[in-house]
Amino acid sequence: MTNHCCGPGYASPAEAMTAPREKLLYTIAIYTGTGIQKPDYLCTIDVDPESSTYSQVISRLQMPGIGDELHHSGWNACSSCHGDASMERKYLIVPGVRSSNLHIVDCGTDPRSPTLFKVIDGAEIKARTNLSAPHTVHCLGSDIIVSMLGDAQGNAPGGYLQLSKEFEIVGRWENSMGRIKFGYDFWYQPRHNVMVSSEWAAPNTFMPGFDLEEVGHLKYGREIHFWDFEKKEPKQTFYLGEDGLIPLEVRFHHNPDSSHGFVGAALSANIIHWWKDAASDWQWEKIVDVGNEPHPEWPIPIPGVISVILLSMDDRYLYLCNWLHGDIRQYDISDPHNAKLTGQVWMGGLLGRAPEVNGVKVTGGPQMIQLSLDGKRLYVTTSLFSTWDNQFYPEIRTNGGCMLMVNCDTENGGMEIDPLFVVDFGKEPNGPSRCHETRYPGGDCTSDIWV
Amino acid sequence: MTCFTIILANQGGAAFDVDPRKPLLQSLREQGVDLPYGCKYGGCITCAAKIISGKVDQKAQRALNNRQINNGYIILCVARPMSDCTLEVGVESHDKLYRNPFLDPLAAHELKADIATPLEAKK
Repeated sequence: MTNHCCGPGYASPAEAMTAPREKLLYTIAIYTGTGIQKPDYLCTIDVDPESSTYSQVISRLQMPGIGDELHHSGWNACSSCHGDASMERKYLIVPGVRSSNLHIVDCGTDPRSPTLFKVIDGAEIKARTNLSAPHTVHCLGSDIIVSMLGDAQGNAPGGYLQLSKEFEIVGRWENSMGRIKFGYDFWYQPRHNVMVSSEWAAPNTFMPGFDLEEVGHLKYGREIHFWDFEKKEPKQTFYLGEDGLIPLEVRFHHNPDSSHGFVGAALSANIIHWWKDAASDWQWEKIVDVGNEPHPEWPIPIPGVISVILLSMDDRYLYLCNWLHGDIRQYDISDPHNAKLTGQVWMGGLLGRAPEVNGVKVTGGPQMIQLSLDGKRLYVTTSLFSTWDNQFYPEIRTNGGCMLMVNCDTENGGMEIDPLFVVDFGKEPNGPSRCHETRYPGGDCTSDIWV
Repeated sequence: MTCFTIILANQGGAAFDVDPRKPLLQSLREQGVDLPYGCKYGGCITCAAKIISGKVDQKAQRALNNRQINNGYIILCVARPMSDCTLEVGVESHDKLYRNPFLDPLAAHELKADIATPLEAKK
């Protein structure tokens, strides 16, 4: 049980796993780039199987303007504030990648129908910090930092925006970007005084769409960076080369004493593992290599494009999505040097293995995922990024995205798509929209870090 | 003040007089045209439109590769008119904007301006 004298979250990952089952999800949905002139919005989805509105969107919070491209989001407070009774996990920070606006959403007053609390205008962020294109949000005890992928003109490498807990702009968080070329995701492990950051590309490169030739021209990332977290500056860089093209989601073990972490290299379709060795030196290795798959109409085999990875709260399973192939994989990483494939399911994708699931035509492939704290339910959405969707899955304009749920066997490994759960974003009231990242009111498997 | 006239071919030929000093997105939105947009710094392609006739200055755009420019695309949030123009706007005009990069690669001269190899340089 959560100790009610304390702040948000849980005392440990083990305690988080015993939390009550999630009943609501918050998932962003976009109209940016779809041709529908409506704002992007935050959906509240009912995931209580006892409820009459199970597997439905029960409220929609529209952003004030169009063209944000909502993407990822993060809480104002997490388990890193568990010891601070004055803090509350109440506000979701929902950035617009294209507009650079930060939407502060009050999910605490009425969790079933969140409201807009404040907007930090993208123009103000650009003017005061010379940063744009917000991506990942983490709370650092009380303050909040956001990876910003570009400068105010959309050039790399950008930096990190720091907000106070009252959502005022503090300024730049980092003291130096060193020789970092690009930004994207980040995760930190305070007991090792380390932060790891990954690389997508400059906003001016990735926002208009994916030109494969730009990878060869070094316009996309292939390095990961180890930071001195207290000094707020990069300390060591690993060049991953062809094994690590476009390293995206960064996940440390949830166990705060562990030095093991992982990143998914999207274009190489590899999982890279790092750890601190006996001499306290950081090491890295490739532990999963998803092979390219032939396609009858393609001149070259299709790469998996690992768009996301996630670790279960007990650090036993790693999940990844191959957005172009269309499969989600579960690996047992009890030995993090030796990942064992234990489960796989298919939905959508370009290989045509599962064009329709639960009566809905799946357009796109498995993309963002969020796992329940107990590790048993994986919620999956299908849209990656409006312009990239438009290139690889153009039918998504008329079909919209969808959300499915995968039941995960935490004892023996294995996955199965739940036959009763589907949210069809093709049937939204304002027309087909596309769904991306999901959060739970009580924290989830990518939100909380223990200090 | 000199104005140019912008005709929106796919909005019934509606015509708007615009200030050449302002980006087209701003001028058209100020006159009530509902247009898609995103970054407002010429980097994200959301506001791309197709120019049917006329000329614009879009030196500040960073989103388009040379193939897209050759197909007539302009970035409304930074493009300023240099003449009267006829445009197609919105996602309806995006038929040639997106392509599968694995099935339809770009030639060296079709990349973005900063990395493209000019055709004559290949001789």
